Amino acid sequence: MALNRRFCGSPLHAVDRRAFLGTMAAGAAAFAADMTQLNVLQHPLLAGELKKQQKRCILLWLAGGASQLETWDPKPGATTGGPFRAIPTSVPGIHISELMPQMAKRMKHTCIIRSLNTRNGDHGGGAQLMMRGRRDEPNLKYPDLGAVLARELGRTDSQVPDYVSFYFATEGRGMAPGTAGFLGSRYAPMELYTGMIPENIRRLEGISDGDHKQRAALRDLLSKEFVRGRASHSLGSHGEAYQRVHGLMASEKLFDVSQESKKTRDMYGPTQFGEQVLVARRLVEAGVPFVRVGRAWWDSHGQNFETHQELVPELDHVMAALLDDLQQRGLLESTLVITLAEFGRTPGINPSLGRDHFATAWSSTLSGCGVKGGSVYGKTDAKGERVAEGEVGAAELFATIYRALGINHQKNYYVGSRPVPLTEPGTKAIKAVLA
Amino acid sequence: MRTLPSILSLAAALFMAESLAAADGLLPPNQPIEQVVDQYLDARLKEEGITPAGPADDTNFIRRLTLDLAGRIPTVEETKAFVASTKPGKRLELVERLMNSPAFVRHQATEFDVMLMNGTRASVRAYLLTALAEKRSWDRIYRELMLPDEQDAKQKPASEFLRQRVRDLDKLTAEVSSIFFGVNVSCARCHDHPLVHDWKQDHFFGMKSFFSRTYESGGHLAEREFGVVKFKTTKGVERQARLMFLTGKVIETATLKEPPGGEKKSKKGRKDGSKNAPPPAPPQFSARTQLVNLSLEPGQRDFFARSIVNRLWHRLFGYGLVMPLDQMHSENPPSHPDLLDWLARDMVEHHYDIRRLIHGLVLSRAYARDSRWEKGDAPRASLFAVARVKPLTPMQLAVALRLAVNDPNGLPANLKPEEFDKRLQGLESGAGGMARLFEQPGDDFQVGVSEALLFSNSDRIRKELLSDGGDRLLGRLKQLKNPDEIVDLAMRTILSRPPHDEERKLLGDYLKQRADRAAEAQRQLVWALLTSTEFRFNY
Repeated sequence: MALNRRFCGSPLHAVDRRAFLGTMAAGAAAFAADMTQLNVLQHPLLAGELKKQQKRCILLWLAGGASQLETWDPKPGATTGGPFRAIPTSVPGIHISELMPQMAKRMKHTCIIRSLNTRNGDHGGGAQLMMRGRRDEPNLKYPDLGAVLARELGRTDSQVPDYVSFYFATEGRGMAPGTAGFLGSRYAPMELYTGMIPENIRRLEGISDGDHKQRAALRDLLSKEFVRGRASHSLGSHGEAYQRVHGLMASEKLFDVSQESKKTRDMYGPTQFGEQVLVARRLVEAGVPFVRVGRAWWDSHGQNFETHQELVPELDHVMAALLDDLQQRGLLESTLVITLAEFGRTPGINPSLGRDHFATAWSSTLSGCGVKGGSVYGKTDAKGERVAEGEVGAAELFATIYRALGINHQKNYYVGSRPVPLTEPGTKAIKAVLA
Repeated sequence: MRTLPSILSLAAALFMAESLAAADGLLPPNQPIEQVVDQYLDARLKEEGITPAGPADDTNFIRRLTLDLAGRIPTVEETKAFVASTKPGKRLELVERLMNSPAFVRHQATEFDVMLMNGTRASVRAYLLTALAEKRSWDRIYRELMLPDEQDAKQKPASEFLRQRVRDLDKLTAEVSSIFFGVNVSCARCHDHPLVHDWKQDHFFGMKSFFSRTYESGGHLAEREFGVVKFKTTKGVERQARLMFLTGKVIETATLKEPPGGEKKSKKGRKDGSKNAPPPAPPQFSARTQLVNLSLEPGQRDFFARSIVNRLWHRLFGYGLVMPLDQMHSENPPSHPDLLDWLARDMVEHHYDIRRLIHGLVLSRAYARDSRWEKGDAPRASLFAVARVKPLTPMQLAVALRLAVNDPNGLPANLKPEEFDKRLQGLESGAGGMARLFEQPGDDFQVGVSEALLFSNSDRIRKELLSDGGDRLLGRLKQLKNPDEIVDLAMRTILSRPPHDEERKLLGDYLKQRADRAAEAQRQLVWALLTSTEFRFNY
């Protein structure tokens, strides 16, 4: 009764993103046809509008669990601190690991959250939790961060993908596939596992561009008569999917780093991670709402310090390059850059000189759009074994991410007639972190 | 044919008049299901002043029916014969031919497997093939899945239903309730449902109590004699659950306690026996058996009966009498409560005969309606005024594709049924691989762009669908010279119907403009038909 009247269950009456984005689409319609032209931002009025309204997000996924003690929350001198020192940053009072000198110079963009307690220290469960901000229920599969942002920030008729994920290494990959959950395939990620170019995005040899387009036009014409008088979301999505094909094929250029100047490429460095993050910048610049770049092998149960000595400087270098690059292009205000993982690492050092999984007191960072850069939220105790102040869980972190991007974290999706808020009811975003 | 239904409807009208006196307000039992369906649906449409869509034409009907009953599109010859026939009882004959074909069993096994095992990593299809071929009743299948006899080699495959869920008892509880009883109680795990008074924490933990003693040991499913589920209410009070079914009926038992020492196995029921150890003895008091028996008793079996009726209705009509399928509770009444009750009663009286219900539903006028609504917005789905468009399932799509790209001469009219089925099985066995590329549609299915990219640019798809070898449609088209003939055969093979005039012109022109590259043009034509929205859906 009451339940049904509030929401009849018809998908046509669910939040209609097309209508919601109507104002923006109307204004941007003129040039929206080919979003792959990165110089679209040269048109000052539209560029300004676009920048103001279009938020996006890059997630640097430190697969395996980077150690907070060797990155954002060092404890030099403590028995748990390890051999590396802490260095001051450009923000007085904030120290980070000496392995991150470049980020130290640029702390003003970044907020460090040191008080994450997410309780789940296993790869599968931790990955599920930290990609969705919650655990799945038996009868309900939640969409992950990328799928939600694809839906909230993407365009219905987008000519670029909405959600792209790079995850080349095999470590942890099976446990953290991108998933659109109950939002459906429309918001599923474009996953890149082995090649820098998405699957099936390139026209096959043996068919010309003209033929490829003409047969697609024929397909559209034939289907047009069929759908007349048979409206439904499912039916509509089929045509929409085909209409996006050529735009997406054209977006292949976005994945090609050779389109960037040598200077830019050198800024990110020659590593695979660096290249992928550069591609992520190209993608968000062209309007892709969410890109995840997975960098693996952080799971240092043995040789923790050698591992971090190798990986942290790369993270430092690439993240600094990304923030600089975004800032220079005027994109940092509207782009949120996140570092996150399944969990952190134990303060206790094991006999193999490693650190094990630890979800009780670890760190994540948020930089750019909507956050108070140059700040630290929360504290861990002297040895890093517990959170001392400002404890937050996955739900609060996600609420904060959504708010930073201008999304109401208590907004409801509907599965049948059941309202499903983006975060658990009663979750509060961390005000101190938000700009 | 014309006189029989009118006699029956006269009789039905008389019954209806009589039924006003019937105690439960339902139409009398023992009538053809299709008549009852139409009576109830038409009565509501009349109340709302809505004229339903007319019947779908023959080509539409045979395609829909063949997809729903046999999981494939009809062959060119099957469609031709059906359309040409002037026999009054041809629809009934078609229904019975399809339901008697082995493909019916295979398709139903696939559909039930999805219903039972979606989200798990295993399948009970092998078991279902046997069970459905033997026409086992739904309550028997339920019993065999919930209480599998692992000693019987033929029954053992059914044990996957429990095995896949035995390590997460919350999941087992929630999924059994959802699949067999149409009830999702999992929100009641943490709190009483805020709006639905039917579902309290007691209900979730009551159901869980029936499962909490089940565990896996040394590769065998086992059940303890004793066990008790404790939970905390929202106010923090610790309570002990009883063996309580969804109706509120409680099974009193002295076994509601922790297992006495010595019998106690590890808490989470992990594998704590070696694989060679014999299976633990079955308990004297089996909570799961109690559940199965209770749920089928008079006064308790409404959930079970209504759920299977609703799910089969949903599969054929594309929309349930209750939606969503696992929200059967008092705040979410069926669109046609009397109809659901009548069908559930019929189901019980006929010993949960799945075929009987399917047979009846597909013979109704409502099932046979057109799916196009000509004027303005269609009425809401729960009125069944117009047929609903359903996305093809992965297997349906894969099998349909394989049939559509083959030369129709490969399945001529004069084939003996056994040979026909043999060739069909050949096509089906090759389809499994392609089926894995597609997503199983849920209720608000959206096609992802990756499917469109797959069909547009995948080499594998091109090889599978656009080859022009001798046994292929494209191979045959190559030999035809007349564009009209080419268009006609292509459409009949792929879309199971002849072209409309505008299509004949559109496609004919497309070919004529590329007369110098005929083979390539034909490939493009076939591609456009295979990827058309019409092909992708069951309308």
